[in-house]
Amino acid sequence: MSTLLQEIEAQIAGLKTGVTRQNVGTVREIGDGVAKIEGLSDAMLNEMLDFGNGVVGLALNLEETEVGAIILGDYTGIKEGQEVRTTGKLLQVPVGKPLLGRVVNALGQPLDGKGPINTQKFYPVEKIAPGIIKRKPVSQPVQTGIMAVDAMIPIGRGQRELIIGDRSTGKTTIGVDTIISQARLNRAAEQAKDASYRPLYCIYVAVGQKQSNVARVIAVLEEAGAMPYTIIVSASASDSATNQYLAPFAGCAMGEWFMDNAMDALIIYDDLSKHAVAYRQVSLVLKRPSGREAYPGDVFYLHSRLLERSARVSEEYGNGSLTGLPIIETQAGDVSAYIPTNVISITDGQIYLETDLFYQGIRPAISVGLSVSRVGSAAQIKAMKQVAGRVKLDLAQFRELAAFAQFGSDLDAKTQAQLERGKRIVEVFKQPQYNPMPVEVQVAALWTVQNGLMDDVAVDKIKDFQGRLTDYLTSRKTALMDKIRGEKALSDARAAELKAAVAEFKQTYK
Amino acid sequence: MKISKQTRRDARQLFRACLVADALDENRARQAVAAVVRQKPRGYVALLSHFQRLVRLEVARRTARVESAAPLPPEMQARMQSDLTRKYGPGLNFTFSANAALIGGVRIQVGGDVYNGSVQGRLAALRESF
Repeated sequence: MSTLLQEIEAQIAGLKTGVTRQNVGTVREIGDGVAKIEGLSDAMLNEMLDFGNGVVGLALNLEETEVGAIILGDYTGIKEGQEVRTTGKLLQVPVGKPLLGRVVNALGQPLDGKGPINTQKFYPVEKIAPGIIKRKPVSQPVQTGIMAVDAMIPIGRGQRELIIGDRSTGKTTIGVDTIISQARLNRAAEQAKDASYRPLYCIYVAVGQKQSNVARVIAVLEEAGAMPYTIIVSASASDSATNQYLAPFAGCAMGEWFMDNAMDALIIYDDLSKHAVAYRQVSLVLKRPSGREAYPGDVFYLHSRLLERSARVSEEYGNGSLTGLPIIETQAGDVSAYIPTNVISITDGQIYLETDLFYQGIRPAISVGLSVSRVGSAAQIKAMKQVAGRVKLDLAQFRELAAFAQFGSDLDAKTQAQLERGKRIVEVFKQPQYNPMPVEVQVAALWTVQNGLMDDVAVDKIKDFQGRLTDYLTSRKTALMDKIRGEKALSDARAAELKAAVAEFKQTYK
Repeated sequence: MKISKQTRRDARQLFRACLVADALDENRARQAVAAVVRQKPRGYVALLSHFQRLVRLEVARRTARVESAAPLPPEMQARMQSDLTRKYGPGLNFTFSANAALIGGVRIQVGGDVYNGSVQGRLAALRESF
C-alpha cells in the first residue's frame, strides 16, 4: 500500500512541470475508418494521433489544409468536431521474446487471452531497411524440411523467397511446415545443448485470412509444439483494412528485433495479395489517385520497402537475419498479373505451386521449371549439394521425355531408364503435409534414388520403400545419420556406409 | 457540395491574391467575394464555399483564444498579447473569455497550438497517466 501512495505521488509530482504545447485539430469528416482533420499543423507522416477514449489514428495524408488519418480500432464513437491531438510518436509495436508463443493483432495487442505481454521494448512499424554496409551475403540455410524445397530451391537465412500459386495449392502448408521444421531443429539443439546452432524464430502474419484458417494454423502449430518459437500476427478478414495494411509491417518490426539482437528470424506474410487489396481500399478512401487495377501508384513501394527489411547483417552488426517468405495468391495461374509480377521482381526467387500437379497427387505441388532460388544455393549444405546437384536437371529432362514418350511406344533403353528414374524422383519428392524431414534423411533418400538403388522398386511402392528406409536409418543407423548431419558432407566413406545400410535394408524389404 | 479540383485551385489562387505580407487582407477578401458574386463565373458557389473555408482556416490560424477560470485583469491581458505576438508574429486576433469549467488557470489556443495550464487540463492528464 505504501508503494501505491508513493507511485501516485510520483505521478502527481511529474505533472507539476511547466505547461507544454500541444497540437490539436478537429475532425471534419469521418467514414470508412478514415478521418479528415483540420488543424494539426505539426502532424508528421505516420504519426499516431490521439482521438481520446483510447482511440488512435495514423496520419497518412498531409495536405494543405487538412490531415487524412486512418483509425486503428473502433471508429464508430468518433464524431465530427471532436478534438484530435498529435502524440509526437510514430506508430510502434511491442517486440521481444515475450511475444513468442503469442497471438497478437496488428498493434501487438494479445488476442489469445493469455494476459498482457510483458515487454518494455517497442519498434516503429515503418523502419528503413538495413543499408548495403550492414548487409552480408546469404550463407546459412533455412531447413524447411520439405525435400523438394531444400534440394532444388534452397532458402538461405536473410533471403526473400516468394511462395506463389492458385488458391488451395498448399502455399500456407509450405509456410507452416517450415515453422514446424524450425521448431523441431530449435528444440533438438536446445536438448543437445548445441551452442553453435542458431535458433530460428518464426513469425506468421495472417492478412485477410478467414478466422477459421488462422485458428487451424494455430492448432497445427500447437500440436506440433512449434508455438514456443512462433509469433502469430493476425489481421483477419473481419479486421479493418487499416489493420490488414499494418499487420505485415508490425510482424516485420517484431522480426527486426531478433535480427538487430544477433538472432535469426523467419517471417511468413500470408498473403500479400490481400495486403495489396487492403492497401488499395485505404488509399481509395483517402482519395489518393489510383493507377492500374485501381491500386495506388505506390503499391510497388509498399511491398518493396516491406521485403527489403528482410536481410542478413554482418558480424559487426550482430550477424542476425530476417528471412521473408511472402505468399501471393494468383488467379487461374496468372503469374503475369500486377501484384504477382511486382513481388516476383522484389524477391530472391519463387516457389511456384501448380493446381494440375496438386490434383495429380504430386504434393507439395512445386513446379520445378518455374521455381527458382537466386541466392539460396550458397546456403545449401555440402551433402545436399552433392546429392541434389543434378536433380533439377534430371527432373526437367524427365518432364520433356515424358511429354515426348506419350507419342510413341518404342523407346531405347537409355530413355526408358531416364523415364523410370524420373518417375521415382517425383515419387521421392512427394511428402505429406505438416511432416518436415530432417536434412540427413533427405540426403539419404536422394542419394539412394540418384544412385539407382530404388530402380528395382516398383514406382507405386516407392513411398512405402522410402518410409521404411527412413524408419530403418533413423532407428537402426542413428550413428550414420548423426555423422552425415554433423559433417554436413557425404564423404566416400559415408557413401559406402550408406550403400551398405541400404543394401542391408533391401534384404529385409518385401 | 462536390467541389472540383479546378474550383479548389481557383479558390486557392483567389485566396493567395488576398494575402498581404502573409496575412489575410480583409478588404481584399471582401472585394474578391463581391467581384465573384457580381461576375458569377462557372461554379462560383462552390468556389466561394471553398474560399470561405480557406478564410475560416486562416482566421482560426491567426486567432488566439485565451480562456481563464476567472476574467483576467487588463495588464495581464496586455502582457499575454505582447508575449503571443512575439512568438507568433503580428496580426493575431485576441479573444479573452472566462470559463468556469477550467476550475483554475488559463488555456490558450493559437491556431492548432494549445497551451493548457488549467486545473481541468491537469486533471485530464492525470486521468490519462493512470
